[in-house]
Amino acid sequence: MEAVSAIEMRGISKAFGSIMANREVDLSVRWGEIHAILGENGAGKSTLVNMLSGIYRPDSGEIMIDGQVVEFASPASSIKNGIGMIHQHFKLVNVMTALENIMIGRRGGLLIRKKQWKQEIRDISDRYGLDIDPDKKVYNMSVGEKQTLEIIKVLHQGARILILDEPTAVLTPQEIRRLFQIVRNMKEQGCAIIIITHKLNEVMEISDRVTVLRQGQTVGTLTTADVQVGTLIERMVGKRLDLSIKRVDYPGERRPLLQVDGLTVRGQDQKIALEEINFDLYGGEILGIAGVAGSGQKEICETIAGLTRAEKGRIFFEGGNIIGKTPRDIIRLGIRMGFIPEDRLGMGLVGSMDIVHNIILKDYQNQPGIFLRRGPSQAKARTIVERLDIQTPGIHYPVKKLSGGNIQKVLLGREIDSDPKVLITAYPVRGLDIGASYKIYDLLNEQKYKGVGILFIGEDLDVLMSLCDRLMVFCAGRVAGTVDPREVSKEEIGWLMTGGKEQEPS
Amino acid sequence: MKKFFAVLLILMLALTALSGCGAKDNSAPSEDPTTDVTTIGVIFIGPVTDGGYNQAQNEGFQKVEEHFGDAVKLLRQESVPEDKQSVKSTAINMIDNGASIIIGTSFGYMDALEELALEYPDVTFLHFSGYKMNDTNFGNYFGAMEEARYLAGIVAGKMTETNKLGYIAAYEYTEVKIGINSFFLGARSVNPDVTMNVVYINSWGDAALEKAAAESLLAQGCDVLTQHADTSAAQVEAEKAGKFAIGYNLDNSKIAPKSFLTSPIWHHEVYLIPTIEKIIAGQYVPESYYGTIKDGYIGLAPLTDLVPDDVKTEVNAAYDKMKEGDFPVFVGPLKDNTGKEVVPAGSALTAHDDIWSIEWVLDGITAVE
Amino acid sequence: MKLIQIKKREDMSRKKELLIRIVAVFLSLIFAGLVIKILGYDPLNVFSSMVNGAIGTEIRFKQTILKAVPLIITSLGILVAFKMKFWNIGGEGQIMMGALGATFVALNLPDLPRLPLLGLMMLAAIAAGGFWAFIPAFFKTRMGVNETIFTLMLNYIAIKFVTYLQYGPWKDPGSQGFPKVAMFSKNGTLPTLFGLHIGWIIALVLVVLVHVFLNHTKKGFEIAVVGESQETARYAGMNIKNIVITAMILSGGLCGLTGMIQAAGIEQTLTSTLSAGYGFTAIITAWLARLNAIGTLVVCLIFAVLLQGAAYIQISMQIPAAAADMIQGIILFFVLGSEFFIQYKVSLAGRLAGLRPTRREAA
Repeated sequence: MEAVSAIEMRGISKAFGSIMANREVDLSVRWGEIHAILGENGAGKSTLVNMLSGIYRPDSGEIMIDGQVVEFASPASSIKNGIGMIHQHFKLVNVMTALENIMIGRRGGLLIRKKQWKQEIRDISDRYGLDIDPDKKVYNMSVGEKQTLEIIKVLHQGARILILDEPTAVLTPQEIRRLFQIVRNMKEQGCAIIIITHKLNEVMEISDRVTVLRQGQTVGTLTTADVQVGTLIERMVGKRLDLSIKRVDYPGERRPLLQVDGLTVRGQDQKIALEEINFDLYGGEILGIAGVAGSGQKEICETIAGLTRAEKGRIFFEGGNIIGKTPRDIIRLGIRMGFIPEDRLGMGLVGSMDIVHNIILKDYQNQPGIFLRRGPSQAKARTIVERLDIQTPGIHYPVKKLSGGNIQKVLLGREIDSDPKVLITAYPVRGLDIGASYKIYDLLNEQKYKGVGILFIGEDLDVLMSLCDRLMVFCAGRVAGTVDPREVSKEEIGWLMTGGKEQEPS
Repeated sequence: MKKFFAVLLILMLALTALSGCGAKDNSAPSEDPTTDVTTIGVIFIGPVTDGGYNQAQNEGFQKVEEHFGDAVKLLRQESVPEDKQSVKSTAINMIDNGASIIIGTSFGYMDALEELALEYPDVTFLHFSGYKMNDTNFGNYFGAMEEARYLAGIVAGKMTETNKLGYIAAYEYTEVKIGINSFFLGARSVNPDVTMNVVYINSWGDAALEKAAAESLLAQGCDVLTQHADTSAAQVEAEKAGKFAIGYNLDNSKIAPKSFLTSPIWHHEVYLIPTIEKIIAGQYVPESYYGTIKDGYIGLAPLTDLVPDDVKTEVNAAYDKMKEGDFPVFVGPLKDNTGKEVVPAGSALTAHDDIWSIEWVLDGITAVE
Repeated sequence: MKLIQIKKREDMSRKKELLIRIVAVFLSLIFAGLVIKILGYDPLNVFSSMVNGAIGTEIRFKQTILKAVPLIITSLGILVAFKMKFWNIGGEGQIMMGALGATFVALNLPDLPRLPLLGLMMLAAIAAGGFWAFIPAFFKTRMGVNETIFTLMLNYIAIKFVTYLQYGPWKDPGSQGFPKVAMFSKNGTLPTLFGLHIGWIIALVLVVLVHVFLNHTKKGFEIAVVGESQETARYAGMNIKNIVITAMILSGGLCGLTGMIQAAGIEQTLTSTLSAGYGFTAIITAWLARLNAIGTLVVCLIFAVLLQGAAYIQISMQIPAAAADMIQGIILFFVLGSEFFIQYKVSLAGRLAGLRPTRREAA
């Protein structure tokens, strides 16, 4: 054997109730290595690393750090052992500066050591190529800066092993590039880095080795340079999948179905969330919207769907202005528009109710009389379950107990069933596994082929670029540009996402 | 959940079956015609250890038990609220357990007892502090507390130095007003300069409210407090402030030895013992009993040593006259606190119904917050 | 660091649920039995007397039914609000206001024939109870005022207001100075059937009506959706304000009807003690019935058995009221406790782990 590993996990098992989240998992990470952990949602990736960060304790198995067997009683003892975890949701105090955030929870007087600490932070920054202003308040930081701060924080705590949980989900392509550079610098300094992801291209780009998990078990550890993407998918999903997203062509005539004209909307905090938005959505196209999270995606969907009131502007549906119409009006007037909201169980569906009642949700308004008629919706539920191949014990099964993909299919199925002319979809594949995601893309393409105009809010630029006919880039509530995804690079889109402020790294 | 309760019920039923004989034993004695024991159900508004109203009631019933020995069996039920459902349910459960006499000791029980008297003609119902009755099996009893309050008023009028008395009253209605006026008349009879402040607390037995009212009255310069409410809070408060207090219902000289002067009290057994004897003998004819000092039903707790002898003498003199039955409390001329003459000179309120029409309070009495 | 971890359970086999419940019942009986034993009574005798005292004879069974009727109707009212996750703690006040509305009609139109008079009294009770519930609903929907505190406080206002009427403007001049409201005329009282006022028939009808309303009408469906997720309700085009207000008026109206039934069926007048805590007890029963109308009927009946049984043993065995309350409390504690353990999983794992030092640290 070679030199001692940074991390050696052997036969790790962890159960939550009757669910085995990890079963006999092995993981070995070397010093000076970038190690990706790949797996679908629910494969047990987070559980595994949470045992490294001291949040969970394994039911059985053994963890060795730098050759020594350890048992973590709490996150604190994990940190003591040189492990730093960067969570998907940052744990920072907004009203404090970068420096203060680093100092929270650390021993030592605030005033006395401030200078010394600043110097330490500068040293760390220089060593790994990080860049942060210690006096900047967190609420003034971009997502990328916050992530950098989190990294500095754990490095300052003495971390030599860095765990990044889905670090790229919220970053622009430029920020991702910078993050990867930092990670590579750390690797050169001899650190061990674990990146959890389900994005295959990132695995291929950054990692030295990759451990694939499936259904809580280790499928294997591979050297990245030696594997093909297809092999990884097969390992991850358990079967072969064609991973190219088709862009079908609509045979019919292109005519505008939805026209948005000078739309300005205030968000819940009364700040302008959308400003002077203009665009047309044509029948038979998928119009994508890309942008950093919180750029107005939620507001554009909810305003078109009638859930949010517009400050000014007009929205034409087949030539008629629907601005100011409530969802109730839209249903009652028979405006054929479907909406897949971002928060499926919180807005699109009622989690505790069964499929039938979730279908009634959109139907009952147009039923005559005061009584609820379940019959037609039952038939509809059966059709949808069959057509979309929804895996459920029955149509009277609470939707929240279904898997994410099947929940989304219920929602999409219901919306498609009303034969919409316009379909608004917000992050329709978020949290879904690969197979389910592709099923959703297929269904959307199918609708597009029928002449439906689809507005597709997405977060994965690769998906947006290969699925959409046109791509609208939002930046801080404005349309920064509309591009043909076949003709631009990811970097150009990223540049638009940040409003052109982002400098190309030299 | 349904299942849950089904399980519970089944288990309880099973237990019933297991101890079936035991259960029957419970109800058997009362249904046994061979015994001579008379079962009496007594319904109280609060706990019998409340140090006030209910305790005073219960002391009467304890005397009943002492008097009759094994010939009566008392079924007490404490803390029965005044809604008719609770009262009827309690009474029916008592009758179910063999009670042939039901006694309700709170005003709010009246309508329920009236209905029960119709439904259970073989049971006799007695009601304290009400006014309803029938010809066969439902009577009521109450007493001329105005007499005792007048006597207590004499004590207060003599003992005050600030010439300001404080009166903590439950609710503003006739019974309470009778007490306020009679107490004040007693004080005025020995001290023409005395005035009185009254606080209505809109509750019968809330120690916190009585304490707050006492504090307020003491702050207003009242130096002898009394109350027509059911706890001893005012006496304790007066003791803390080094002032005097007159209680109600019970002799509280042990609770507040440095402030307690006396209390108007009830001798319920004076009514209960002969009445129960008549009922047992089958000779009871319903009546509206209104006991007085003369009857021995109303009394005054012994004056404590805080009361000087000359005052004792004066009180005893008035008491003796009342004992003769010749001492009306409400003697004209009396003016109410709006200046209207309510009892003309040369006349007096003596008839029960006249006294129980009082809606006024006398000149010199101020209702305060 | 968390000492105890509490997690919501997703699935539990029916077998295990049943087992937990049986264990809970046994534990409750054992603990209650212990208390009884300590007080110097024979537990088996007490338990059997409780059941016997509640359903042993016709007269006892009637007592039980009379206790169940107001509980059932109030629980139905509470249920409608709770289904919407609108925490109506104001049942007491709504009962009082309903009784007040009914009394107003009964005292002002005493000579009306029985049927129209009772009908009007019911309408007045529903209107008054509904109005009392409408107030917090209005403020909740317009200004987001917390309904829990609001409804709770309205209880006291209603009770104090009735007290004021009883001691003031509505005091019966014929009551010889005593504070009581005049009795209703004969026509203002509920007729009886099988020796019980017809409140029990009303309760049964209402159970069916509320069941149908919640499960088979559009409005009932809307209430359920609003209760699950207001965002989803908005998404589905529901008028949330309208739904909340309608449901609360219904909830308060049902509680108000309890007030009318107690006033016309039992009290035959208005008293400030009429609500007798039903508004609070109904919260427990509605919850135990898992917000199901039919379940409410069953739970309330069993609850009434418990109440009447406890009342009976107090008299027959002269057990102090406080002890009987303790027995009830212990049984309820375990019953409600078992529901908690069925819905949540509690583990001490975190704590045990925390007590053990890491080997690395120790070294």
